[in-house]
Amino acid sequence: MPPADSPDSALAPPSSRRDANAATIEKGSSLSRDAWLRLRKNALAMASLCFLVGIVLVSFLLPLVPGIPDPNATHPELQSLGAFSRATTAEGQSIFYLLGSDPLGRDVFSRILYGGRMSLAVGFLATFVSLTIGMIYGAVSGFAGGRIDSAMMRFVDILYALPFMIIVIILTTYFGNQLWLLFVCIGAVEWLTMSRIVRGQVLSLKRQEFIDAARSLGLSQSRILFRHIIPNTLGPVVVYTTLTVPAVMRLEAILSFLGLGVQPPDASWGSLIKEGADLMSSDPGLLIYPAAVFGATLFSLNFLGDGLRDALDPKSSKD
Amino acid sequence: MMALPLICATLSFGFLSCQRETRVERATRDKILLLGNGAEPKALDPHLVSSVGDANILRALFEGLVVPHPADDFADEPGVAERWEANDDFTEWRFFLRHDAKWSNGDPLTAQDFVYSFHRALHPDMASPYSSMLYFLKNAEDFNTGKIKDFSQVGVRAEGDHLLVCTLVSPTPFFPDVVKHTAWLPVHQATIEAFGSMTDSYTAWQRPGNLVSNGPFTLIEWRINAYVKVRKNPLYWDADAVALNGIDFYPIDSPFTEEKAFRNGLLHSSYSVPDNLIAGYREKANTPLRIETYSGTYFYRCNVDKKPTDNVNFRRALAYAIDQETIVKYVTRGGQIPAYGFTPPAAEGYDPPHVIRFDPEKARDFLRKAGYAKGSDVPEFTILINTLESHRNIAMAIQDMWKKNLGLEKVKIENQEWKVYQQTTQDQRYDVSRAGWIGDYIDPTTFLSIWRTGDSNNYTGWTNPTYDKLLRESFLLSNPVERLAKLHEAESILMDELPILPIYWYTRVYLLHPDVKGWHPLLLDHHPYKHLDLIAAKSEAKSEAKAKRQNSGKKGGAE
Repeated sequence: MPPADSPDSALAPPSSRRDANAATIEKGSSLSRDAWLRLRKNALAMASLCFLVGIVLVSFLLPLVPGIPDPNATHPELQSLGAFSRATTAEGQSIFYLLGSDPLGRDVFSRILYGGRMSLAVGFLATFVSLTIGMIYGAVSGFAGGRIDSAMMRFVDILYALPFMIIVIILTTYFGNQLWLLFVCIGAVEWLTMSRIVRGQVLSLKRQEFIDAARSLGLSQSRILFRHIIPNTLGPVVVYTTLTVPAVMRLEAILSFLGLGVQPPDASWGSLIKEGADLMSSDPGLLIYPAAVFGATLFSLNFLGDGLRDALDPKSSKD
Repeated sequence: MMALPLICATLSFGFLSCQRETRVERATRDKILLLGNGAEPKALDPHLVSSVGDANILRALFEGLVVPHPADDFADEPGVAERWEANDDFTEWRFFLRHDAKWSNGDPLTAQDFVYSFHRALHPDMASPYSSMLYFLKNAEDFNTGKIKDFSQVGVRAEGDHLLVCTLVSPTPFFPDVVKHTAWLPVHQATIEAFGSMTDSYTAWQRPGNLVSNGPFTLIEWRINAYVKVRKNPLYWDADAVALNGIDFYPIDSPFTEEKAFRNGLLHSSYSVPDNLIAGYREKANTPLRIETYSGTYFYRCNVDKKPTDNVNFRRALAYAIDQETIVKYVTRGGQIPAYGFTPPAAEGYDPPHVIRFDPEKARDFLRKAGYAKGSDVPEFTILINTLESHRNIAMAIQDMWKKNLGLEKVKIENQEWKVYQQTTQDQRYDVSRAGWIGDYIDPTTFLSIWRTGDSNNYTGWTNPTYDKLLRESFLLSNPVERLAKLHEAESILMDELPILPIYWYTRVYLLHPDVKGWHPLLLDHHPYKHLDLIAAKSEAKSEAKAKRQNSGKKGGAE
C-alpha cells in the first residue's frame, strides 16, 4: 500500500522514496524532521529560537531565585534611581536596582521579569486558543464547502464587523475581571483571520490529487481532514501565528490600560511600556528597557516565523 | 533617486511648521480661551453634575444669583441678583433680580425661573446628586425625601418678576456664598419641557442648539471626548464687560497627554500636571507651573455595609496604616498636606481635630481588635479608582503600605472610567473607593454636611444620629465660635468612626499660559470667566529674549 501522498514528497529527501515494501514505511512521515533539519540551517531563525527559549526560561525561572526584589514592593523614598544603583530603604533593607527604580521605588528589572511572565503567557495561550478555534473552524468550513461554508463564513463576517474591543469589554463585564478570561477573550476574537487563512488553504488543497487518492482509498472524512489537509496548511498557519503572538501581546496592553486586563500592581510588558511612555521625558529608562525586551521578543518571533515557513514549505524556499 | 526630493520636502515642511503659529497663539488673537478640563463632562445640566470639570463648564454657560469674585474667595459679586439683603437673624434672604437679565433666546429671566429650577433640583424624581446643597431652604429636605409633596411649602418664592425670597432652615450668614454653587443655577423651563418633563434626565435639552442659558457664554458645539465649545452670549446683561469671545474646554483624561498639549501650544491652561514633571517645571525660569492652596480633601471612602470595611476597628487599622507623609512627599509631590482630619484647616479659622497620623503599631492593634490575628486573614477587598495615573500610583503605594504595615495580602485595585466610577460609587457597589471632595463654598459645613445620614454625596452607607444632631444644632447657632466648636465635635465623631480614610489636602497644581490675564489664585478655583482676558505676551517676551541672548553671548536659551 503506497503512503498517502503529500505535495512535497517529490521534493523531499530520498528517505521518503524508499522501497514501498520496506518495513519502515509506516514511520516514513519525516515531514517534521525534514523541517527541523532545514530550520537548523537558518542561523537567524535558530538565534531567534534560542533567544525566545532564553527569555521564556528567564521570565519564568529567574523570579524564583532568592535575591530578586519583589516587583510590587514600593519604596517611594527610593524613586527614579538610575541603573546599577544600590540604595537602602527606610527600613534599612539594601536593594540593588539593576535597571533602576520607577517613581514608586519598585525594581524595574524584576518588574520586567514578572511582566514577561504575564505577556508571554497571554501571548502564547491566547494565540493557542485562537489557533485551535480558527484552524478547526476554517478547515471544516473549507472542506465541507457549499452552503455550510457560506453560512460559516458569513458568521465570521458578522463577527468581523463587530467592533472587537466592545466584544472583549462585554465578555469581561459579563464574566468579571479574571485573568483566564483575558486569554479566552483575546483568543476568541483573534481566531477570525486564522479561520479565513485556513479555509483558503483547504479550498485549494482539497482539489489536489493526493486528496482524491486518499478518498479513493476509502479514508474517512475526518481522517482526510485532520491527517492530510490540516498538516498541509501548517506553513501559512505558522507564519500567521508568529504574527498573532505580538498582536495579542499588544492587545493585552491596551486592555490592561482600560482596566480590563492585568490589574495593578501586577505588570505586563505592555503596561510597563505604557507607564514608561508617559514618563519618557523624565525617566527614559522606564520606557527603553521594557520596550527593548518586548521589541527583541517580537523580532525573534518574526524571524522564527520566517524560518519556519521556509522549513515547512520547501516550495517557497526555491523561489 | 526619489529620496532626495522627499527629504527636501520633509525638511522644508519641518521648517515651515516651526514658523507656523500655534493653536494658542491663534486663539489668543481670537480671544478664545483653551482650557484643559479633566474628564469628559457627564452632563451640562446643573441638576445632574457633581464633578469639578462639569461645574467649570456650567459656570461659563449659566449665571446664578451671586457669582464668584475673580480674586477673593470671600467676596460676592452680583450676578443675576443686583443686590440682596437678609433679615436680622439671616434666615430670610431677599434677592433683587436685575431687569436686564435675559436667556440666550431673548426670554426675560425672572424670579419664577429660579423657583422652577430649585423645584427641579429638589424633586425626588430628579435624584440630583447635589440636591442636599439646597437643604438650606426651609422644608427642602422634606420635599426632597418625599415627606412633603407640595413644593409651595419649600422656603422659596417669587414676589413679582424680580424679587426672589429665600426662607432658610437656620441662620446662614454665608448664604450668598452658598448660592454661587452650580446646584443653584437657573434652568430654562420652556427648553426643558420641550424635550421631556421637568424631571427627565439626559434629554436633548442640553445639546448644542437646544441649550438655552443665561451666562456670559452659550453652547455652540459639544463633541464627546473631543471638546465643548462655548461662545460669547450677545444677550448677556454684562456682555460689554466680557473680554473673551469664547472658551473651548478639552476633556483630556491623561495628565501626560494634557501636559504635552500644553507644551505644544494647544492649551492655555492645563487641568493638572503629572506628578513626575512637577520638579522639572519648578526649576524653570518664568515657569507656567502654579501650585496654589485648594480647599479640598483626597480620601478613600469605605463601604460600611460590606465586609470587611463594616468593622470600625478595621477601618481604623486601614487609616493608621497609611503613611500620608510619604505619599505627599514622594508620590503626589505637589506640596499637598497630609490630612489629619477631613476638613482642610484653611476654612475660616476652623481647625479639624488632629486625629489621623501614620502609626503602624496602632494600626496593628486595631487590626487585632477587629478580630484578625494577622493581615492574611482579612478577606479580599478592592480599591476602586477612576482611571488616572496619579490615582493608580497612590492606590499602589497604599496597597503596599497595607501589606507592609498590616500584612494585608489580598487587596486588589480596580480602575474604571470616570463616568462608570461615579455610578459605581453612587450605587455603593465598592469596598474602598478613592474620592476627592472640593469645597463648594468657604465654610466647614461644605465638608461635614455630606456625611449626614442619607446625604446625596455620602455614598458610604455611614450614619450616625449624634453626628446628624450635632450638625443640625450647629446650623441653628449664629455665634461663629460656638458653631465651629459644634462642627469640631461632629468631625471628631467622623474621625473616630472613619467611614472615610483621609489622605491629604489638595493643592491646585496646573499650568497657566502667560497670555491669560485676570486669573488669580482662588481657594475654590471658581474662576469667573467674564473677568478673564487674553493678551499676547509674546511680543514683549520676544524682545526680552533677544536682549538676553545678546547679553549672554553664544550661550543657549535660559532653559
